[in-house]
Amino acid sequence: MNQPMLYLILLPLLAAAGGWLFSSVSRQAGVRISIAGTIATFFVALWALWMALSGAPPTTVAIGSAWGTLTFDPLSSLMAVVISGISLIVHVYSRRYMAGERGYTRFFVLLDLMTAALLLMVSAGDLITLLVAWHLIGVLLYFLLGQEMSNHTSHRYAGWTFLTYRFGDLPLVLAAVLLYQAFDTWSLPAIFAALGEAPDARTVFDLPLAETVGALIALSAFARSAQFLLHTWLPYTMSGPTPVSALMHAGIVNAGGFLINRFAPLFVHTDGVLHWIFIVGLVTAIVGSVLMLAQNDIKKALGYSTMGQMGFMVMECGVGAFSLAVYHLIAHGLFKGTLFLGAGGVIHQARKNDGVPKDDLYTFVVERRPAKQRRPWLLMAAVTLIVPVVILIVAHWLVANDFFQKQGAIVLLFFGWVTGAQLIFAAYRMRTENTRRLLGLILFSFTIVVVGYTLIAHAFDVFLYPDEVFRAQIYASAGIDIFWFDVLVILVTLVVVFGWLITYYAQNNGGRRGLQASAVWRRFYTLVACEFFVAAIYRRLSDALLGAATRLNAMLRWS
Amino acid sequence: MSSIGWLLAALFLPLFPFSMVFNRLLARIENTWLRIALLIGWPAAGLSILLATEATPPAWVAHWSVATALLYAFRALTLRDLPLWLGHIATSAWALLWLPIVFGDADTSLAPQLTAFSVPLVLLAWLTGHLEKIFGAAYAGALGGLAIDVPRLAGLLVVVVLAAIGTPLFPGFFALLGMVNDLLPAQPVTAIGVLLVWMLWAWAGMRILQGLVVGASDTRTRSDIGWLHAGALSATLVIFAMGGIWLSGSLV
Repeated sequence: MNQPMLYLILLPLLAAAGGWLFSSVSRQAGVRISIAGTIATFFVALWALWMALSGAPPTTVAIGSAWGTLTFDPLSSLMAVVISGISLIVHVYSRRYMAGERGYTRFFVLLDLMTAALLLMVSAGDLITLLVAWHLIGVLLYFLLGQEMSNHTSHRYAGWTFLTYRFGDLPLVLAAVLLYQAFDTWSLPAIFAALGEAPDARTVFDLPLAETVGALIALSAFARSAQFLLHTWLPYTMSGPTPVSALMHAGIVNAGGFLINRFAPLFVHTDGVLHWIFIVGLVTAIVGSVLMLAQNDIKKALGYSTMGQMGFMVMECGVGAFSLAVYHLIAHGLFKGTLFLGAGGVIHQARKNDGVPKDDLYTFVVERRPAKQRRPWLLMAAVTLIVPVVILIVAHWLVANDFFQKQGAIVLLFFGWVTGAQLIFAAYRMRTENTRRLLGLILFSFTIVVVGYTLIAHAFDVFLYPDEVFRAQIYASAGIDIFWFDVLVILVTLVVVFGWLITYYAQNNGGRRGLQASAVWRRFYTLVACEFFVAAIYRRLSDALLGAATRLNAMLRWS
Repeated sequence: MSSIGWLLAALFLPLFPFSMVFNRLLARIENTWLRIALLIGWPAAGLSILLATEATPPAWVAHWSVATALLYAFRALTLRDLPLWLGHIATSAWALLWLPIVFGDADTSLAPQLTAFSVPLVLLAWLTGHLEKIFGAAYAGALGGLAIDVPRLAGLLVVVVLAAIGTPLFPGFFALLGMVNDLLPAQPVTAIGVLLVWMLWAWAGMRILQGLVVGASDTRTRSDIGWLHAGALSATLVIFAMGGIWLSGSLV
C-alpha cells in the first residue's frame, strides 16, 4: 500500500515541474502534462482507496528522519480520492476556461502544487509535515486567488484570506508544540497512543493537555473552514477565477472537518471542546444561511451557502458524528464544485443574454403569484411536522435501533426534521397545477435522500472508525447531561414551531403588519444586508493598525 | 561580560533603540554590495561578541528582544521602500536570536538560525539593487505591475520574500518553529510573542508584494533579469530550501 500513496504526492509535483518546463515549447503541451499528471494521481488514489476498502491495514512511510512521515489509512485514502477527483475536474474545466488568461501556465503549476499540498496534508503522519502542508495551502491559495496579477481587488481579498489562514496556522503550531513537549515525538500515531495511556496529562499553566490542544486545533479548523467571525474571507474572494472558487469551496475549505477527524483520537479524551465546536458550527450554519438569503450576486450567495454548509459540517463534529462530517464534506464538495463551475457558465451566458425566461419559476419568484390549489392549512402543517420525523426515524432505525440513546443522532435527526419540514412547507407555497402530485414527488425524493444519506453515513462510520468502542467514545465525549439535553430539544422544538406559525401569519397578513414590527424587520434586514458589520469592523481595525504603524514610522524617522 | 560588551551585542544583534543605527546606516547605503556586506557582517559581529563570552544575559532581555521584533514587524506593515522594509524585517528577525541566548542552546542553534533568517535578506538586497538599477527605485505603489513587466524578476522577488517571512519549506519556518518549541514550556507568553511576529511578517510580506508585483503594466519595455542570473538565484533558493530541510532536525 505504501508505493501508491508515495506516488500521490510525487505525481502532482512532477506534473507541476513537467508542465512548467514544457510550457516553453507550447502552452497546451504544458497543460496536457498537468492534466495527465492529475489523471494519474486520481487513478492512484482510487487504487489506494480500493486497497483500504479491501482491508489493508494503516501503514506509515518515513521519507525523512525528523519529519516527512506519510500515514495511509482509510481517512487519508478517502480524502485523496476526493481531492484528486475535484482537482481533475477543475483542471479539465480550466483548460478552456482559462485559455485566454495571462499566466495560463502559472495557473496550472499552482493547481498542481495545491493538489500536492492538499494530498500531503491528508496523508501527513507527523505534526511537522502537517504544519508544512497546512501553511503551504494558505500560501498557494493566496497566489491562486490572485491569479489576475493586474487586479488589485482580487489581491486585496486574497491577502485577507492569507491573513485569516495564517491566523489559523498559529494555533496549530502551538498545538503541535504542546503535544511534542508532552510526549517527545512528532509522530501522530505515537502521540495518540501516548495520549491513550495518559489522557489526563497536563500542559503549560497546568491546563489539561487534551482540552487545550483540542481547543487550539478547533480554532485552526474554524479559520480554515470559515466559521463565524473567521468567515469574512470566504464570500469576498469571488473576484478570483471561477475554477479556483470551485476548488476552494469544494476542497480547501473542508480542511477544518478533516483536521478534527484526523485528531479524533485526541477529541475522545476531551470533555467540553466538542460542545463549543457544536455551538460555533450552529451559529455559523444559521448566520451563513441568513446572509445567503440577502445576496443578489450568485457567487457571493454560493460563498455564504458554503459558510452555512461548513457550519453544519463542524456541528456534526460537535455532536460526535465525525464520519458524517467527512461524508458531508465530500457530498458538499461535489455539488458545490459543480455549482461554481456551472455559475461560471451562467454568468457567461447572462452576459450574452440578460432576458429572464417567464417560466413557472419566474412567475413564482418574480411575480409572486400564489398557488392555484391549496390543501387545508392544518393538514399541511401536520404533514410538515410529522412526515419528516417519521422518515428520519425509520431511516435511522434501519442502521441502528438504539439511536435514541445517542444524543448526536437525535440532534442530527432534529436538523433533518427541520430541513424536511421546510421543504414540504415550501412546496405547499409553490404555484402548481397539481399540489398532490408535487407533494408526493417531494416526499418520495426526500425519503430516498434521507435513507440513502443515513445508510451511506453509517457505511462511512464503519469504514473510517471500524472500532465500535472508539465510535462510542467519540459520541460519549460529545454528550451532555440528559436533563439539559431534553430541555434544549423541547425548547428548540417550540422555537421552530413558533417560527412556522410566524411565517404562516406573515404569509397571510403581509400587508397588515404593525409599524413597530416593520421597523424591527427593517433594522434586522439592514443588519443582514450589511453582513452584521463583521467585515466592516475588521476593516476599521486593520486601518487603525496600519495608521498606527505609519505614525510610529514617522515618529521614529523610518529607522 | 562588561557593559560595553553588552551594548555592542545589543547594537549588532539589534535591540531597540540601538537597532535604529543599523536601519539608518542601511538606508544611507545605495551600493548593493555594501548593503549585502552589511547584512552579512552586522549580525555576524553581534554573534561573535556573544559567543566569545559564556555569560548569559538576564531574562528580561528576552522580553526586550521580542518587543523589538514585534515593533519592527509591526512597522514593516506600512513601509513601501524595499530597502527600508528588508532592514526592518532583518532587525525584527535578528532581535529574536537573543531568545536562544537567554533560554536555549545558543552554541548549536544560533548559527543555523542566523543563516535561516539572513540568507533571504541578502538575496532580497541583491534583487532590490537590480530593481533600483532598472527602475531607479524599489518603491511599492510607485513601482507596481512587476509581474507583467518583468515576470522573472517578480517571480524571484515573490519567492525570496516568502523565504524571508518564514514560509515552509524555507529554513526560516523551521527556525521559528524551533524557537516556539524551545520557549513554550518555560516561557509560553514569549512563545506567543514569537508567533505574533510570524503573523506580522506574513502580513508585511503580503503588503509589500501587492505593492510591487500586482498592478497594470506601465507599458514601457523593461529588460527582465537575465536567464543566467535568474537560474543562479533560483538554484541558490533551492539549495537554501534543501539545506533548511536537511537542517530541520536540529532547528526544530
